[in-house]
Amino acid sequence: MNPGDEELVGLAQQGDRRAFEELVERHKQKAYYIAFDFSRDREDAKDLSQEAFLKAFTNLKNFDGRSSFYTWFYRILVNLCLDFKRRQKRTPTDSFDETLESPMESSYEPQKPPAPDQQVLAGQFSRRIGEALEALPARQRTAFILKNHQGLSIKEIADLMETAEGTVKVHLHRAVTALRRSLAEFA
Amino acid sequence: MADRNNALSLPCKELEENLVLFHYGDLADTERDALQVHLGSCAGCADYLKELTALLPLTIKTDEPPQTFWTDYSRELRHKIAEASEKKSWWQRLGVLFQPRLVPAFAAAAVVALALTLTLGKSMWRTNDSAQEDAAMLEILPVAENLEFFNAMDVLDDLDLLESMGNQSNAA
Repeated sequence: MNPGDEELVGLAQQGDRRAFEELVERHKQKAYYIAFDFSRDREDAKDLSQEAFLKAFTNLKNFDGRSSFYTWFYRILVNLCLDFKRRQKRTPTDSFDETLESPMESSYEPQKPPAPDQQVLAGQFSRRIGEALEALPARQRTAFILKNHQGLSIKEIADLMETAEGTVKVHLHRAVTALRRSLAEFA
Repeated sequence: MADRNNALSLPCKELEENLVLFHYGDLADTERDALQVHLGSCAGCADYLKELTALLPLTIKTDEPPQTFWTDYSRELRHKIAEASEKKSWWQRLGVLFQPRLVPAFAAAAVVALALTLTLGKSMWRTNDSAQEDAAMLEILPVAENLEFFNAMDVLDDLDLLESMGNQSNAA
């Protein structure tokens, strides 16, 4: 019978590195996909998820078991992903306006697809989604990605974001409304 | 913008949040049943729900890394964890010195070291003092040896004074 996460955490806290490696094997794919949902880039997602595991490993002594390892670890990961996006936004090449209304008026994006080519359309749509997601405030984006992409329950998201379930519902609704407006031309 | 918004479905404002939760299957049973009844008679809400069903799955960007990616991922991470573990154990070894159970031992050692320093230091200071005293004596002794000479000089001064006073009275 396989030991549970908490048992492995206990062993890892006593210095059993293999126990922590087992935790990595269990969670690496989900961690990677969450990081990918935020970064939308394979290398960034790999770096971010690995960084989260390392951070969890070095801070394992601070894990007191009040929440599950799953919640504790994914909170570390999501915070790293949000920090990463914040750093990206500070780069001079990124001139994307963060307001919810403006992406529709952004000058570098054509209002209508230039050609009826499916690949071009798919590329534009994918890029527009990425931009629309980035334009969302961090907490709305987090709630949306964890619900829409990862299928977490409202309670799980609330635990992870350390907020009330009602607040998560509000964030989710606002995120959907903003995305729907941003992506209206593709609807 | 207005045109685009007009193209979007217009659901009942107060039900919008519940429609989102309904789409994700996160609505409580009673609310879900009530909304389902409403959807049968409200085209705006029904269209909104259809729109969410069509649009939201499209926002997910899929990625299927090959098996080699996962193998490399695990190998790289094991290596990083091993490195972090080395660093950690170095700090832990240092940290052992500051564990509470060793504090009395460190305090006792510090007291002994202080006592030794004071004891040995005192004798050293004493040696220094006597050396200074010796130097002072070396300065005083020549003065003492020539004391008679100096006294004689004082007498000579007195004689000179008396002689000059005598000369002044004679002149007067």
